[in-house]
Amino acid sequence: MKALWGRVSARPEFITLGLIVLLVLGVSLLEPRFFSPQNLVATIRTTTRLGIFALGVLLVLAAGGIDVSFTAIGVFALYTTTTLTLLFFPAAPFALMLVFSMTLGALMGLLNGFMVWRFAVPSLIVTIGTQYLFTGFLKTFVGTKHIMDIPAAMDSSGTASLLQFSTADGVRVTLPLLFLVLVVAAILTHLLLTRTLMGRAVFAVGGSSAIAGRLGFSVRTVQLFVFGTAGLIAGLGGMVHGSLNRLANPSDLVGTELDVIAAVVLGGARVSGGSGTVLGALLGVVLVVLINNSLILIGVPSTWQKVVIGGVILVASGVFSRRRGA
Amino acid sequence: MTPSLTPSPITPRADALLRLEGISKTFGGVKALNNVSLELQAGRVYHLLGENGSGKSTLIKIIAGAQPPDAGRIIVRGTVYNQLGALEAIRAGIETVYQDLSLFPNLSVAENVALTTQLEASGGRLLRVLDWALIKRIAVAALERVGLPTHAGFLAAPVETLPIAVRQLVAIARGIAARASLVIMDEPTAALTQREVENLLLIISSLREEGVSVLFVSHKLEEVFRIGGSVIVLRDGVKVLDGSLSDYSESKISFVMTGKQLDQTTYRTGQPQSEVLLEVRNLARDATFAGVNFTLHRGEVLGITGLLDSGRNELALALSGVHPATSGEVWLEGQSVQIRNPRDAIKLGLGYVPEDRLTEGLFLTKPIRENIVVTVIDTLLKGIQLNFATMTAKAVQFVKDLQIATPNVDLPVSSLSGGNQQRVMVARWLATKPKVLMLHGPTAGVDVGSKDALYKLVQRLAEGGMGVVIVSDDLPELLMNTDRILVMKKGRIAKEFTTAHLEKDLLTQTLLSEDSSAAQ
Repeated sequence: MKALWGRVSARPEFITLGLIVLLVLGVSLLEPRFFSPQNLVATIRTTTRLGIFALGVLLVLAAGGIDVSFTAIGVFALYTTTTLTLLFFPAAPFALMLVFSMTLGALMGLLNGFMVWRFAVPSLIVTIGTQYLFTGFLKTFVGTKHIMDIPAAMDSSGTASLLQFSTADGVRVTLPLLFLVLVVAAILTHLLLTRTLMGRAVFAVGGSSAIAGRLGFSVRTVQLFVFGTAGLIAGLGGMVHGSLNRLANPSDLVGTELDVIAAVVLGGARVSGGSGTVLGALLGVVLVVLINNSLILIGVPSTWQKVVIGGVILVASGVFSRRRGA
Repeated sequence: MTPSLTPSPITPRADALLRLEGISKTFGGVKALNNVSLELQAGRVYHLLGENGSGKSTLIKIIAGAQPPDAGRIIVRGTVYNQLGALEAIRAGIETVYQDLSLFPNLSVAENVALTTQLEASGGRLLRVLDWALIKRIAVAALERVGLPTHAGFLAAPVETLPIAVRQLVAIARGIAARASLVIMDEPTAALTQREVENLLLIISSLREEGVSVLFVSHKLEEVFRIGGSVIVLRDGVKVLDGSLSDYSESKISFVMTGKQLDQTTYRTGQPQSEVLLEVRNLARDATFAGVNFTLHRGEVLGITGLLDSGRNELALALSGVHPATSGEVWLEGQSVQIRNPRDAIKLGLGYVPEDRLTEGLFLTKPIRENIVVTVIDTLLKGIQLNFATMTAKAVQFVKDLQIATPNVDLPVSSLSGGNQQRVMVARWLATKPKVLMLHGPTAGVDVGSKDALYKLVQRLAEGGMGVVIVSDDLPELLMNTDRILVMKKGRIAKEFTTAHLEKDLLTQTLLSEDSSAAQ
């Protein structure tokens, strides 16, 4: 038992996985429809949208920072890219739009990183500031209208299916192709964090930036890289989000940062920095998505969902902090 | 890579590994280093000595590239630097075992030991695929050398899960993992037990044989003389001595360091009284110690020693209520008492000065005053308000009594040197007017002058009728201060000595004896 606890506590994502299994078992007893293909695909769709953002959040948390501007970056990149494409190059291929959106995101992220490094301001404050800055700028200078008539390439990519089938009662279920974007981004982030010197430098800076600097790591490079990459991922996430919803709404996303941060923390990353895994972050997202989905399914009012998620976060943080004390 | 062409004040020697010329550094108007020049040759051991605040740490940081000097030049094998970057220093073959260890708490042992070798190899560029196999190989080799385990579980363990002595060894392993030409060790033995120190001394002599130089900082002069080599002494930021250790005696070195003649033979002045103050019967806690019996008389100074895993630390923590005993009895002044938590211990009059003042005790960023009165804060209330004037008066009194060197009790504890921080900690417990004072590793990281002051204080307290327990692995410290010494082994008291006329060799032997026979 002790050995088992030791093993589990070294890999906190197993706790998240355990919670997911418990939740699935519990809900499926109450509501057999839980295992329906529709529900499964709905879960994957939401996980795709949140999961991409979660990768950026994980990166920043691992380096000991916190980023609440990623939703603003995502929506800024999405809306600006959509607007410019419609204006100048309506026939642009989706890949080009992605690259453009990600570049925008990366530039905004670099601004975060520069502020954090240059003025040694806590990243929470910097990104609260830039969140206002980016959304304000977007609505003042780019536009405020919903764009329903999105570029053709975006529309077709958003509806393209990886897998399509009809259920017995005739409902057509589509697993979006864009799910693959999450898969590829997750694998790349995992490789970055575990197999490259930069990845370990991120954790080193997250453990202690003073020590990292003393041992010859360039803290500036790491900060710029982390926030730049988080911005790039947010730009990607924004485009995928818009394409799946077939809508570019400048008031979208902002306000949901805490959901994603909570999911990543539920996956075992510490808010104090220096820990976390891609697998854990994704499991955290799945857990949050499942809680939301299943509570709707079993008829719990949406106001109660917040109570449940809050409770899960508190319990999980208790478990995770015990693992530190052990 | 610009070779030095300008003539230098020191006669250049072709084989000089490192040369410092006229290094100065000022912090807020205080000269931490004043025109220090020195030269290190390859394959030699240098001892950098000086009291806390003499400039040793600053000098080390400048050599290690963690801090730039205000003036002066650093010459590493003919290459001149006005200042070294951290990475430049590492690439020039200078590895540092910092006093604060500078380990990443969240990273694994293997990474802590060997990650910087990858950084060095890449020249600081981070976009590189890691060679995990190489990291493991380097880590295993270094860990083996310092006598730590090398199995996969240990390699992958986050450093924050390890006890402090193991962390110290991990930090040393990192220092020797790279093929360094100079290894700086800043008080590497403070957290180590006798056995681990012995191993470190072996490592140092093998480094020397391989042509690696070692710059060693320790407050334990006895260790310094056992290692031998050259000595550099700093006092108030000025180099006051640079020569071969064999030319000097221990008391001469202390004199040069402090500028005072210190009596190094014994401090014990009083006699224990006949009344038994504290009695411990059959005390035990889980697997850490069991069947512990001892008495402490009024006015007595009792030493407790043992290797790190002997249970001595756990016994101290049990008596202080931090990790209470699970069975057994404690009698204080003839009454059976319960110690379930630190509050019980304080109420009963058992004061405990912990081993690691930084993490277990002091509020570093808070004023000296608050740090001193925190234990008696409930007695300083005026209604629901704190009586500020009384607080200050009390703190000022202790600052005076214990000669804490500070202009103002408003200053944060972090502004004090190690020895003075230690005295703040002691003051805090004296404020509770304890009957028994337990000092756990009281002089780890404290300079000779401060040790002297602390030892005199201990004697004064004992003469006033207090019972003092010193838990320490600094054997000379115990021999100079105590009436009796208990040696713990495997969670039990293995031997009791009367300190008078006890030979240090016998004590050392007793401490180490069973280890060799019980090969694990």
